[in-house]
Amino acid sequence: MQTRAAKRWIDWAIILCMVLLAICMLLPFLWLFSMSFRPVADAYKMPPSFLPPSLDFSNYVAVLSSKVPFVRIYLNSVLIALVVTVGQLVTCTLAAFAFSRLNFRGRDALFFILLVGLMFPAQVTILPIYLGYAKVGLINQPIGLGLMYLTSSFGVFLMRQFMLSQPKALEEAALMDGAGYLKIFWRISLPQLRPALSALGIITFTQTWNYYFQAKVLLGKQDQMTLPLAMDVLRGYMGAGNLSVVMAAMSMSILPVVLLFLIAQKFVIEGITMSGIKN
Amino acid sequence: MTATKSKHRPSELARAQARTGYLFVLPTAVLYLTFVLAPVVLTCILAFAYYDPMIGSRWVGFDNFARFFSNGRSVQILWNTLRFTFFAVTFNVSIGLILALALNRMMPSWLLYFFRLSFFLPVIIAAAFVSIVWTYFYGDDLGVINYFLRVVGLPGVRWLTDANQAMTSIIIMDVWKNTGFFMIIFIAALQGVPRNILEAAVMDGTPAWRQFLRITLPYISPVVFFCIVYASIGALQVFESIVILTQGGPGDSTRSLSILIVEEGFGSFQIGYAAAISVVMTVLILCITAVQQLVSRKWVQQ
Repeated sequence: MQTRAAKRWIDWAIILCMVLLAICMLLPFLWLFSMSFRPVADAYKMPPSFLPPSLDFSNYVAVLSSKVPFVRIYLNSVLIALVVTVGQLVTCTLAAFAFSRLNFRGRDALFFILLVGLMFPAQVTILPIYLGYAKVGLINQPIGLGLMYLTSSFGVFLMRQFMLSQPKALEEAALMDGAGYLKIFWRISLPQLRPALSALGIITFTQTWNYYFQAKVLLGKQDQMTLPLAMDVLRGYMGAGNLSVVMAAMSMSILPVVLLFLIAQKFVIEGITMSGIKN
Repeated sequence: MTATKSKHRPSELARAQARTGYLFVLPTAVLYLTFVLAPVVLTCILAFAYYDPMIGSRWVGFDNFARFFSNGRSVQILWNTLRFTFFAVTFNVSIGLILALALNRMMPSWLLYFFRLSFFLPVIIAAAFVSIVWTYFYGDDLGVINYFLRVVGLPGVRWLTDANQAMTSIIIMDVWKNTGFFMIIFIAALQGVPRNILEAAVMDGTPAWRQFLRITLPYISPVVFFCIVYASIGALQVFESIVILTQGGPGDSTRSLSILIVEEGFGSFQIGYAAAISVVMTVLILCITAVQQLVSRKWVQQ
């Protein structure tokens, strides 16, 4: 049997190992950030550096003045991510309220059908969507990508989990007082759900920001692209020499997601575990 | 919230409730039907057709599937995808669990914040972004990893240009990127393991590995199954990391089903054939989910 002192010693040894490992996990990010400040000529100089050599923003200026319409692409990404996030917050919360608080015929069957959607990959829906979009002129329209994701099985499932974990007493009291369901939803349920809304909002924003497969199929033109697609295009344009410039574009592209996570880590983690554990 | 509580007008209240229910579900139902259910059904139909709006489409029965399974190249691509899935799932889930076990102890909250940050950051950044960084990490002569290998006197590895190595390199990056997700889930699951049972085991002098096998693992097994299925569904769709790191090469050694679907469907406009491939992928996902349901049910009964 271990002594108490030995156990504490092992604890600290493990934590030390984990700190080293955690730093290794961050190395690719440190490298890209440091690279974005390196003069283009030094991009391939060894040893690689993981801290910015200076705070020279000329690579960032180079991205904005390159032939790739970076600002336009950035705005496309922002637009799609915002539309999808707001859309899902509305549709998923409404549906989740119905599935967790209201009784109506076919409720459980409907919910089950919706859950089945978690198993369908984008690959099995993209062909008909592409053909349909081609008919109505939504190919190469950033908003077309947004439309596909205005609701999600995951979002409804997550919000329902949160709602089921909330006490119903207040809502029932309001119902006795004669309040309508819309009022109960708006005045009582929603304010209680702020952490859940934050979690879903951040997860959805991040997911939408990162879509690649769907975007690659639907958005071919440079003006209409999103950021994940633009990186590869920029890399091609810049050739091997301007690695630093690509990394400057990359730093700007991952910034919103990194910031969101730094600020609201708690909500993201809560959302993820909520959906994973209670399955 | 049941209608029976209000005794005066139960039926009216129940009707109002049902009306609100349908109204609230309506936007999701319409969108889900349009962008998920209908496309899935249409893809299944397309898979049995030769689709060409110019010349005319026709039914071809199981020809598209026969073509997929009789062609050496597409079978190799299916095999690549399964191999990737097997190793990516195994390492993502097991390493995620090991990391969670390592972090499941008392520590200051700022330290926990730091750990969550560094292990979860790769999860939330698109593979499309980080894969470009890894392209330079994996470079032959100018690569960051080979530089450090040479510093310690080891020969460099042709990470992405050797057909026997490339898939392993992609799996390594995938584990770096995704294992933090499973770590987070396992940390939450481990906190649910009843403390008093573990403490009793410690008092009895049960060795740590035995505590894990006899108490912790059975308790968190539903979460382990969930993680395996979730990881498999994601891994079978692997696309962007491969597109950016190797474009499917060298040769076809890292080409995945998703890449084949895009090439056939949107490159050579073999819509029916591409639909058949995506149906194969979906059936694989359904099978894995079904197996998980069966196994976990049996496990829980024991």
